[in-house]
Amino acid sequence: MSEERRFVVAPGPHVRAGASTAEIMWWVNGALLPASAWGIFLFGPRAAWVIVGSVAGALIGEWLAARAMKAHSSLRDGSAFCTGLLLALTLPPLVAPWQAALGGAFAVVFGKMIFGGLGYNLFNPAMIGRAFMLATFPVVMTTGWAWPRLWYGDKLQAVTTATPLVVLREQGPEKAMQLLSGPGGPYVSLIMGLRPGSIGEVSVAMLGLGALVLLIRDIIKPTIPLSVIGGVALVTSFTGASALHLLSGGLWLGAFFMATDYVTSPKTRNGQIVFGLVVGVLTGLIRVYGGYPEGICYAILIGNTLTPALNNWFRPPRTMPVGVPS
Amino acid sequence: MQAIQLRSFGKGGIHVDSGKERTAHKPIEPLVPPPREVWLPLVESFGATATEIVKKGDLVARGQKVAEAGPGGVPVHASLSGRVKPTVKRPHPTLVNAPMMVIEAAADAPPPLAFPGDPLWRDCPRDEMLARIREAGIVGLGGAAFPTFRKLALPEGTTVDTVVINGSECEPFLTADFRTMLAHPLEVVEGARLMARLTGGGRVLIGIEADKLEAREPLERAAAEIPGGLPVEVVPCEVRYPQGAERQLVTSLTGRVVPARALPLAVGVLVQNVATAQAVYEAVRYRRPLLDRVITVTGPGILDPKNVLAPLGTPLSQLVSFCGGMADGTTRLVAGGPMMGRALPRLDLPLLKGMNGLTLLTGAGPLEGGYHPCIQCGRCIEACPLGLEPDQVSVRVEAGRTLDTDPFGATDCYECGCCTYVCPAERPLLQFMQIAKSALRRARQVKAG
Repeated sequence: MSEERRFVVAPGPHVRAGASTAEIMWWVNGALLPASAWGIFLFGPRAAWVIVGSVAGALIGEWLAARAMKAHSSLRDGSAFCTGLLLALTLPPLVAPWQAALGGAFAVVFGKMIFGGLGYNLFNPAMIGRAFMLATFPVVMTTGWAWPRLWYGDKLQAVTTATPLVVLREQGPEKAMQLLSGPGGPYVSLIMGLRPGSIGEVSVAMLGLGALVLLIRDIIKPTIPLSVIGGVALVTSFTGASALHLLSGGLWLGAFFMATDYVTSPKTRNGQIVFGLVVGVLTGLIRVYGGYPEGICYAILIGNTLTPALNNWFRPPRTMPVGVPS
Repeated sequence: MQAIQLRSFGKGGIHVDSGKERTAHKPIEPLVPPPREVWLPLVESFGATATEIVKKGDLVARGQKVAEAGPGGVPVHASLSGRVKPTVKRPHPTLVNAPMMVIEAAADAPPPLAFPGDPLWRDCPRDEMLARIREAGIVGLGGAAFPTFRKLALPEGTTVDTVVINGSECEPFLTADFRTMLAHPLEVVEGARLMARLTGGGRVLIGIEADKLEAREPLERAAAEIPGGLPVEVVPCEVRYPQGAERQLVTSLTGRVVPARALPLAVGVLVQNVATAQAVYEAVRYRRPLLDRVITVTGPGILDPKNVLAPLGTPLSQLVSFCGGMADGTTRLVAGGPMMGRALPRLDLPLLKGMNGLTLLTGAGPLEGGYHPCIQCGRCIEACPLGLEPDQVSVRVEAGRTLDTDPFGATDCYECGCCTYVCPAERPLLQFMQIAKSALRRARQVKAG
């Protein structure tokens, strides 16, 4: 053996835990697969094109912005894909693919890249994209709902309808429950997503399945989702339609996949509890008293504004008394 | 199996793949054949340079003192019988280059010195014990290599009520301490008792991680062998890195919390490594100097990992050959274990007193692919056993605001590396902490004039 041999010298530690940023992002994307596939199954190929449009818009937006900023392109880290996919899952199925693409591009460019890219953004990019689309395409964003084709076949899928939350708001809980009179009754409809709604939000079961994967892999912790859901339960418990609120709309998608975004949520547990409760309570307030039937999007954006402050207020406890600097 | 109550520290820490299965079952093997040449550095990490007392061409016996200690340092002994060659500057694992005495094996060299026991060793007075420990050249064998006689002398005004023997060996891959406890339980226990007597400590706690329970019984049996001896308790702790960091172990074993930047002495505890305890026993009872040490040669890059007993100053290349040589694709060489070990550039370096492991790693290391922006996932905050905020320190250092890092704990970091280990963006958080720490220290010095 030669003593001339040289080795790579780098600072320690010389081993790392497995999960890299890119791996985490692709796990999140994978965890959204059941909800995405189920959405396509329920709402037909239109939904697939909305997803493709949104993801393509996000990727193109990221690539162009990275070029303009002369930054290293980060397409492979999966975060732009994730933004595009999350946005698509919050969209009504009757949105046009080009509209979704525009939303995806806006989400990535103005929700993330303009702040300096991944890690520097203040707001959840997908939610920025959705807020942009709600302002730009208000009609289709509030009325572009379709019935799942299980009952009505492909022909009727372009007939718009209302979501349970819209009916709940305008006509009360009984009518909303009637809307859910699919096979197996209202709760099966809510859990399996046999109801009008956004592409990826309708099935609590599919979202729960994805969330379970993320929880098991320790990519997300239950703190934020439980706080969000708790906050909604708190506010809506006075309305008599708690169950409908908790199982309907984009609550699960928002609570498990968007409010848990690392960059835009607080880092310590106590901060996360406050953040989650704020998001949940705001969601409930917007739904019950506000101008929109669904409130999770704006609730998360408002919650995001609190994150820097929450990080300052809820610091990790030191495990030892502070000594005198030597 | 009977459930055992495991002690541990509070928050933070990580569960690392221990990799100890490579060598944990292998008894300590003496290096055979002994090295043809040893390189003995005249400087240790602490204390002044030692002064040679033999000259080029002299024949020396193994065990003979060859250089007198400088102030605050310890003397150097020949770890090999042979002929003294000219002292030269050679590559050194931590000091880049250092003067080293070279001793070459020779056919006409005298036999190794014998070290008969002192029948009155148990009644050896304190100052005499300290002198023997100093004369034996003992330094902390857990890695820090601080002269043991200085640590045991205790600063003015400090008292010790508990001696903790650190047998936790939380560093992944390493099993040298574990095998030492199995092979020399009596020496470890008696060494610990001597140090307790020397410092006034009323009890000895030996902390082991739960994956080393096999060592519990031999240690307890050794402790019971001498009736009426100082109480020695073996305490199993949770397997969690950095359980073996002084601060963490003291909390796990005694429930006491060492203040930031203070030594365990601040709460009346003295912590020593198991191999140090063994060396102290041999120094006090036999006046035997520290001539060899056990080193775990391990990692995916070595063909036949082993726990090796080798003379100090042995070229590392010889340890590698003794362990079957390097695997193809070995890219990195680390003195110590993979968490806190230090990368070495080359193999023509001597075995040092503080080197408890030699880890050979394959493939590309962390950082070789660069690192990414913080995604604020909070994993580093969760992993930090001290409750510091490496993420906040790192973004401030990146932004050039190094002096704003104090509130986030840069000064208190003892560099266990948990934060860097868990970071998904592969950020060198530990190095950001180091940069911040030294900048803050400089700023304080400037302020103090």
